[in-house]
Amino acid sequence: MQYVTRESAFHRLHPLTKLIFAAVVVALAVLTSDTAMLALLAGAVVAVAVASGLARDLLRQVPLLVSLAVSLLALTILTIRSGEIIGYLVPQSVPVIGGAFPVTAGAIDLALAMSLRFAAMLFAFQLLVISTQPRDLVHVMDRLRMPVDYTLMFLIALRFIPSLQLEGKRIHEAQLARAYNPGRGLAGKVRGLFPIIIPLVSNSLGKATILGLTIDLRGYRSGRRTPMRDLSPGRADVAGICCMGVVVAGYLAALLV
Amino acid sequence: MSPETGREIALSLREVSYTYPGSEVPALNNISLAVAKGEIVFVTGPTGAGKTTLCLAASGILHHEYGGSLEGAITIFGKNVRDYRSMGEIGRDVGVVFDDADAQLIFTTVEEEVASGLENLGLPREEMERRLRAVMEATGIADLAERAPHTLSGGQKQRVALAATIALGTKILILDEPTAELDTEATAAVSALLRRLSDEGTAVLIVEQKIGELAAIADRMVVVEDGAIARTGSPAELMQESLREQRAGGNARPPAPALALPGAPVISVRGLVHRYDGVVAIRGIDLEVAPAEIVAVVGENGSGKTTLVKHFNGLLRPTEGSVTVDGLDAATVPVAELARHVGLVFQNPDTMLFAETVADEVAFGLKNVDPGASEERVDAALREVGLLHRKTAYPRALSRGERQRLAIACVIAMKPKVIVLDEPTTGLDTRESERVMEILGRLRQDGHTIVMVTHDMRLGAEYADRIVRMDQGRVVRDSRTYEEEPCLKSCSMSPGRAPFTASTRSPS
Repeated sequence: MQYVTRESAFHRLHPLTKLIFAAVVVALAVLTSDTAMLALLAGAVVAVAVASGLARDLLRQVPLLVSLAVSLLALTILTIRSGEIIGYLVPQSVPVIGGAFPVTAGAIDLALAMSLRFAAMLFAFQLLVISTQPRDLVHVMDRLRMPVDYTLMFLIALRFIPSLQLEGKRIHEAQLARAYNPGRGLAGKVRGLFPIIIPLVSNSLGKATILGLTIDLRGYRSGRRTPMRDLSPGRADVAGICCMGVVVAGYLAALLV
Repeated sequence: MSPETGREIALSLREVSYTYPGSEVPALNNISLAVAKGEIVFVTGPTGAGKTTLCLAASGILHHEYGGSLEGAITIFGKNVRDYRSMGEIGRDVGVVFDDADAQLIFTTVEEEVASGLENLGLPREEMERRLRAVMEATGIADLAERAPHTLSGGQKQRVALAATIALGTKILILDEPTAELDTEATAAVSALLRRLSDEGTAVLIVEQKIGELAAIADRMVVVEDGAIARTGSPAELMQESLREQRAGGNARPPAPALALPGAPVISVRGLVHRYDGVVAIRGIDLEVAPAEIVAVVGENGSGKTTLVKHFNGLLRPTEGSVTVDGLDAATVPVAELARHVGLVFQNPDTMLFAETVADEVAFGLKNVDPGASEERVDAALREVGLLHRKTAYPRALSRGERQRLAIACVIAMKPKVIVLDEPTTGLDTRESERVMEILGRLRQDGHTIVMVTHDMRLGAEYADRIVRMDQGRVVRDSRTYEEEPCLKSCSMSPGRAPFTASTRSPS
């Protein structure tokens, strides 16, 4: 998940508008557990992405969301029994263990609500990240008087995730060249992670000191910054905020009714 | 005022000694050094001599961040570093580029990286814009503006880290190995830029392991050994001195006889093309390597050297063409099987070190290919690289040179016919580089075929039987002897490769 250079309508919005957008989606997502409302919310975020020509970037998260939904579904079916029984994981016709693990409507509802909530939040957050240069976000967070250390933490996470993935791949290749075999069975697989995880963590920790010194020496913690680009809100931002206001009002009204 | 230049002293260390917390041996021992405005001072010395510690001391980092025992006075334009409130305040006077370029890139695009530092200075917007463009042009990164740090090569990262620091416009620059991963062209550009900055009054302190082009632009050269200044003089004087020493001591290594064995080639590449993400990295290569041959694959950054050799052990598969290694089709045989025939030593040994002890580290690959292998084979590999006495040590606690040799031991224990090394001497001093090359020479005597990727032309000239030069994904020259390769002769005679430091003579 990284900034993508493109000329989309969403890119042109003021970073603060986009930050408010992400915050509003997160707030609305946690306000309800109603699956229809959450589906509407996730759908609205996707609609914004489609309108801005950023839908393809959002699609990259679909495999993650599907695997999360499946895991949540398995977890809720195994742990929650509420509402009508829809069926059984082990069909009743099977002798002895037939009828084990009933699948209830409540479990499915909860898994669906959590997956949709997560999808809405992830999509909104991704739209923010891929359309906003990190330094613009830093300026906005500065203006909002967010502590600079939190801002930097956010920034560094964005910067280093792809590097860690790449470093992981490099380490994996280096171990493959030593005929590395990831091992079989759960214990084998866990043991098999050591040759990858240990160099990855050790190398990352090694970078932390230099990273910290660089942040200090370049004056990022001095707290006085002059943005190189003029970032004043435009008409699109006013329109965007108004749209969000309408959506929030409608959403809250629907919740209260 | 500096007695040598008559100019104002920008950076000064007076009788500075330093011991790291928890250590008993001082890392710096009574160092006195001054850099005047507009002066370039080049500091060199073997691995572990204290060069990086000197950078940390001069920039006030030891005092503000490290603790330990620091004696003497370090001043920046006459102000003691102790009187600065924080590193942030020192950062307004001193720009530091550390040796790990990747850790210094904080933002997600190159342009942001350079621009963001400028935004912290409170400059007018037009001035920021002007400086941004000028610095990016001067460091040759203007065409990388929108690139993310993880997509850059090591050399490109170094240039971005340098640009981001230079953009701050500090009057003192402290650079730790700023050109270690740069090719000749980029090094020349950086040299020209630093010379220009110094002409404009910037004081520059450069620390480098190898004495190359940067030494030539320096006003003064300092050799550090065992934490103390061993020699100071003009670069020309000290380079001459080192050449004399080299001649008096004879060649560090006898010229290797051309031992390539007749018979079927051990590596055979035909019509190799490799494409990824729409980029053509290899554009049709035909190459044969004979058994027991030492081949250096040379070329500028991004010429496709590493991409080529990754095909030898199956880490990359050909888009077109074929690669045969030791009779196996490297396009289809699994990597684990190819690992028995081809060993690959990566550029950075830290990419693979994970075990608790040196012996376990070597045993990992060995046991993967031969579960019943005896411990004697581990010992033999460690003996070969001179690390048997460290077999119970924690691998990551070894010095950089020792870690590199351990990485080689890990590969030779598996007894592959072909050993491929990616930039085997990056980050190593002359002495350690020579040790590594001596090991490779012995391995060749034992019948191993060696392919080494390097951007160091001198290394190829001195140690390989054959030099394959790549450019933009093609082999543009394949020379059996180095006389055939233009530039090599002069490169090998340049003082840059000279075993400069007295460390080659010191018992340590």
